[in-house]
Amino acid sequence: MTDISTPRPRAALFVTCMVDTLYPGVGMAAAQLLQRHGADVVFPDRQTCCGQPAFNAGYRNDARAVARHLIDVFWPLVDGGDVDAVVAPSGSCVAMVKRHYPILFEAAHDIEYQRRAVQLGEVTYELTQYLVDYLGVADAGARCPGRLAYHPCCHLLRELHIDAQPRRLLSSLKDAEIAELPNADECCGFGGLFALKNADISTAMGRRKVRNVNHSGADMVVLNDVSCMTHLNGILRREGHSCRAVHIAEVLNGTVEHATAERDSPDDR
Amino acid sequence: MIYDSIEARDEIFARLRRACSGSRSVFREALAHLKPPDPPTPVTHADGDRRSLAARFGAKLEAASGSYEILEDAAEASQRVVQLAREWGAAERATESAAETIEILSWASRALPIENLGELLKQAGTSLIVPDDMHDERTRARAARVNLGLTGADAAFASTGSIVLASGRGKSRAASLLPARHLVLVPMSRIHTTFEAWLRSLRAKQALGSFLRVSGQVVFITGPSKSADIELYLTLGVHGPKSVHALIFDDIW
Amino acid sequence: MTVDVGAAYPTRVRQALADDALRAALDRATEHLRGRRAQALAGVDATRLRDEAHAVRRYAIEHLPDLLEQLEGNLIANGCQVHWARDAAEALGVVLEIAHQNHVKDVVKSKSMVTEEIGLNDALQRSGIDVVETDLGEFIIQLAGEPPSHIITPVIHKRLEDISEIFQTKLDTPPTDQPAELCDTARRALRSEFLIADMGISGCNFAIAETGTICIVTNEGNGRMVTSLPRVYVAIAGIEKVVRSVEDAVLLWQAASRNATGQDVSVYFSMSSGPRRRGDSDGPDEMHVILIDNGRSRILERRYGDATLCIRCGACINICPVYREIGGHAYGRTPYSGPIGAVITPLLEYDIRPARDLPFASSLCGACRDVCPVKIDLPRLLLDLRSDIVERRAAPIAERVGMRVYSTALRRPAPYRALARLARRLGRLAALLPPLKRWARTREPPRFAAKSFATLWRERGRRPGEGAAE
Repeated sequence: MTDISTPRPRAALFVTCMVDTLYPGVGMAAAQLLQRHGADVVFPDRQTCCGQPAFNAGYRNDARAVARHLIDVFWPLVDGGDVDAVVAPSGSCVAMVKRHYPILFEAAHDIEYQRRAVQLGEVTYELTQYLVDYLGVADAGARCPGRLAYHPCCHLLRELHIDAQPRRLLSSLKDAEIAELPNADECCGFGGLFALKNADISTAMGRRKVRNVNHSGADMVVLNDVSCMTHLNGILRREGHSCRAVHIAEVLNGTVEHATAERDSPDDR
Repeated sequence: MIYDSIEARDEIFARLRRACSGSRSVFREALAHLKPPDPPTPVTHADGDRRSLAARFGAKLEAASGSYEILEDAAEASQRVVQLAREWGAAERATESAAETIEILSWASRALPIENLGELLKQAGTSLIVPDDMHDERTRARAARVNLGLTGADAAFASTGSIVLASGRGKSRAASLLPARHLVLVPMSRIHTTFEAWLRSLRAKQALGSFLRVSGQVVFITGPSKSADIELYLTLGVHGPKSVHALIFDDIW
Repeated sequence: MTVDVGAAYPTRVRQALADDALRAALDRATEHLRGRRAQALAGVDATRLRDEAHAVRRYAIEHLPDLLEQLEGNLIANGCQVHWARDAAEALGVVLEIAHQNHVKDVVKSKSMVTEEIGLNDALQRSGIDVVETDLGEFIIQLAGEPPSHIITPVIHKRLEDISEIFQTKLDTPPTDQPAELCDTARRALRSEFLIADMGISGCNFAIAETGTICIVTNEGNGRMVTSLPRVYVAIAGIEKVVRSVEDAVLLWQAASRNATGQDVSVYFSMSSGPRRRGDSDGPDEMHVILIDNGRSRILERRYGDATLCIRCGACINICPVYREIGGHAYGRTPYSGPIGAVITPLLEYDIRPARDLPFASSLCGACRDVCPVKIDLPRLLLDLRSDIVERRAAPIAERVGMRVYSTALRRPAPYRALARLARRLGRLAALLPPLKRWARTREPPRFAAKSFATLWRERGRRPGEGAAE
């Protein structure tokens, strides 16, 4: 894919609403990773959200309105050949586009948007999946001193079946020690609106995950979704643990220290 | 008919016909017509000659908390039945006030796979109880006292250690259900590799339907009665037998 | 009992989460069952077993009316009496009628979720008929006056010491920490019940259409007792239990055994094709089969047919991270808990509202879908149910307003940016707003970035050495 004779692949970056507003550093890391590993990055700045919060909560009309906007922003780029792929630093949002958009528009008998959704879904990738499967990256070429545990986020693992790619990239990091996370594939308890609607159950599940993270002895738990990251950090910080959840883009980009320092600045609490 | 359920029946069928027929699928994803395998693929596997199938059957039964012995022939099996009945009877007499003679709740002699075993047991001083009507209170009370049950098996399966018992004349369900010990006689000729292979052979003979329907009940039994309801501790004999002991013998000459 | 199944959902959840003993018991039990299941499936071609079990169940549901007609015809030919019931009340009416006709005083029952679903025990007792649950777990919770909290291991929520205590008070036995002793006590108590009972009642795991056979899966042998000792035997089967052939039933039995308890097969698989035959010493003189709808045809009409594929193995319950925290009683007055319970409990009801919280009691992690032996896409069904609930305007008003604001703002970039700016300005105050307050009670809220990614990207422009970015 990165043959010099062929043009560089062009990826449209869908940063997701949470990265845009809460964790721009993750978006920057994702963009830099893509560029460093041979892709040109396009950022369509009219993008907002994939619509998952509404879809998961059962509000399909509201979800459709937001989803249509995403399709309006990204589909013309794909259809016109301006980009080869849409890449997002999130398993959950990619799963929304790939798995749930077709359901959403089929239910509304919106054949045109269903067609566009399917076409868009075919070229939409989660970041590490794109790096490994599309760009052929085997070595992230970064260094990350410390003990890392990897938490496979549910939608990444079970909706998209992406697991080997992030693990392979993490194992390529210099000076990183990968810790075994007990019961790694158990849900952290975020679950979108579930985290609010069933806050107590969500917290109980998160605490269980935190116990396992502590058990692994990791300084950082690495994951591919900032939503689960927010949930875990919320518990880690509230309960006074030193371990932090970090997004894989920052880890692979070697910008993680900066990121954690920023999040834990003195005015935090 | 006790209860006129015609109206209920008609309404249920009307609703089902409406829901299940036509182009509209009752499922979320309308898959291309999915034809299930007929028959399904065997889940387990076993092969080998009758000796190795017997050994496999025994090992699987043991894994299901049962026990077994492999004996040369029917004669040896008969002697072993008598010997076990005496041993167990003696053990019971030592611990509780059991009946004077050793009682066995048994299938009728003609239903057992060893000729004249009934006679042999009677000569050995055991009393064979073959219930004729378990709804009779005295028969039931008498059967309920017995600690040893003796049956044959209509079929056995090497890959799981299971046996099949079909109820019928002289083949009481009680013999394999009420006593604390179940002694089952398994001729090697009755040991099949898997459930599926056995079903296939019955189906080929067009005997499967009648096998099931002639009997009130056909039961597959794999080891002694078990429960894991108390904190998932395995306990044996909560209702059925606490032990299932198979005497496997070679009957092919 | 620590969780009041009659209380409102938030109360039930709070009670469950506060009960450390319950959660310790659930942890231990579900982990054990998950391990056993994995072991049992490692020894077979699990993918094929799953594909075939799914295909076999799906075929049965697609051909439900035809198979039910065939089943009915064969049951009658076998000497059974077949009754149809549209709902719980009709089914209870049939059972009571049969009981009265036969002057029944004592009923023994084997574990059956459909009888829990229709509230059979209460109805029998109200009519002055003694009914005893004979599954060890069901017997224990009947003594304790509780409903089951798991479809396979109904007393999963109790520890050994809790059970010993129940036996001490109810059966006057000495305290013990030996499960075998408790088991022996139950054996003695229940054996005398079996011997005096005039009627046995069971559910039905599979009903074979081609032979007219009712199949019961048990490990304890109580299923055989109930179907063999009393003069009258009544099987109550949901109409979705029908399968095409003997082979299909044997396949599903193996799939259920491996997925439920991690056994190759259950100890007993009883296939009853009618009353005792002429010359038989035992078996019932009358065998009745009640085929009950109770919401199932409506499930099909509403295209939730996937939910009717379920073979009640409990694998989805044992893997569910939500069930593990709250247990079965938190799902309310229903025998069905965990992911499958969150789907079928609201679906079986005519009115979705009383159980409207259940489809939301899931993080949609998808673990249940991966373990289901008949490939039910449970997260999908939960999502679809959530949509139904919202469409029926059964969701809280504040949530509806919130979602409208969300979708109005986020369908265009400008209002999205404005909303983000507002949130940034509110900063930590946002955590005081009602929905976020629930977050902030136990978790630090995230902070909005000083500059959004879009702003940073714009400001960055095209810097040298950063590749050909836009």
